[in-house]
Amino acid sequence: MRIHLTVWRQAGPNVGGAFHAYTAENVSPDMSFLEMLDVVNEQLIKKGEEPIAFDSDCREGICGTCGFMISGIPHGSQPHTTVCQLHMRKFNDGDSFTLEPWRAKAFPVLKDLVVDRSAFDRIIQAGGYTSVNTGGAKDANNILIGKDIADAAMDSAECIGCGACVAACKNASAALFTSAKITHLSLLPQGQVERTTRVLNMVERMDTEGFGSCSNEGECEAVCPKGISLKNIATMNKEFWKAVLQS
Amino acid sequence: MRALRMLGSSVGTKIILAFTGLALFGFLIVHLYGNLLAFLGPASYNEHAHELISNPLIIPAELGLVALFLTHIVKAIGNFGKNRSARPQAYGVKKWAGGPSRKSLASTTMIFSGLAVLLFVVIHLKLFKYGPVYTDAVTGNRDLFRLLLDDFHKPGYVVGYVLAMLIIGLHLRHGISSATQSLGIVPESWTMQVLRGGMALAMLMAILFAIIPIAVYFGVIR
Repeated sequence: MRIHLTVWRQAGPNVGGAFHAYTAENVSPDMSFLEMLDVVNEQLIKKGEEPIAFDSDCREGICGTCGFMISGIPHGSQPHTTVCQLHMRKFNDGDSFTLEPWRAKAFPVLKDLVVDRSAFDRIIQAGGYTSVNTGGAKDANNILIGKDIADAAMDSAECIGCGACVAACKNASAALFTSAKITHLSLLPQGQVERTTRVLNMVERMDTEGFGSCSNEGECEAVCPKGISLKNIATMNKEFWKAVLQS
Repeated sequence: MRALRMLGSSVGTKIILAFTGLALFGFLIVHLYGNLLAFLGPASYNEHAHELISNPLIIPAELGLVALFLTHIVKAIGNFGKNRSARPQAYGVKKWAGGPSRKSLASTTMIFSGLAVLLFVVIHLKLFKYGPVYTDAVTGNRDLFRLLLDDFHKPGYVVGYVLAMLIIGLHLRHGISSATQSLGIVPESWTMQVLRGGMALAMLMAILFAIIPIAVYFGVIR
């Protein structure tokens, strides 16, 4: 396969960038999108040019490290798929793509397609945890949780923190990411101790980082590789006003 | 203190917008009831208007309404500015995601449809509430029905009013369901029903409001 790429190249943070055109030759349909970029990078290195920087780690769709815009949609147009699990067999010989980093004030571009997502880490640090006594490992079923609650909590906990929700949102809002963690922990007994302060702290952090607010459009849900539902945001908002009334 | 500060947060702002928006929607329903009385003739229409004007609670009610409007507008404009600054550099290529996303013309133009509605409200108050005062010869009350007929025999007024109602319908199409989502008051299993219901309700409101000037123009209301 031959693939035409228009890629955002930026040498580092706080410098300007521009789109550059590349052509990937001899792309196997069995390659993932990232493996196709690996091939392009090998060609660039052979020519003595700087390879295209992009993030990746597990390449199994579970770690949340990879991700960039493929022709205007985070992770590309295949639903519930990270870039690393997007395969070239889904495309045709001669297809063209525009690759761009996530764009948000809170996600500054570090280089090419790589952005700094540590704002997400700081939101989690603000309240996305539970306090437990240390000691010997507890029995797995020490605290009984109904299957429906465990399933609902797992649906929210599935978030891999890739940042596609922020990238897709017209307001660059982190509401889906933040609400998934708040919902996950509010459903479980372990999350009850910090339940009130958690939502306030995490929302406050989300704002400090410079993310926008939620317009309830659901672009985030549509591009989320894990299909995290917009319902999480409704739950976060409910948790929020309950916490405001209690505090 | 913290509770108050948190009301200014992104989530707090959306909750305030949702609450004031739904309250204004409630006002629209009451307003629509009064409008539709025009189909019953001048007596019912003017009597309802007189009952409202002569009620001693009208002043506090109007002040409350102004407060709701102002809060909604000020918060919405501030929110729009913050959201714009959250993405300083625009995408070279950006597409709508489709699928479960409910992004629409309505959802992407809320600030503009809202400002258009504000402009309409100002014109509407100037021409109607603070417009020419006719007096009913029999009851001695204000004859708003005559003003209604006067205004909506002018084609320009009919077109302008119907256009304004379409914009209000557009604003409500996203607004009603979005507000319930922002408040988190709808059980999860009802999300889709509320979304569709909100859209249907928005369309119904726009049609019922817009039907009155058309009925006047074509002589159904006279």
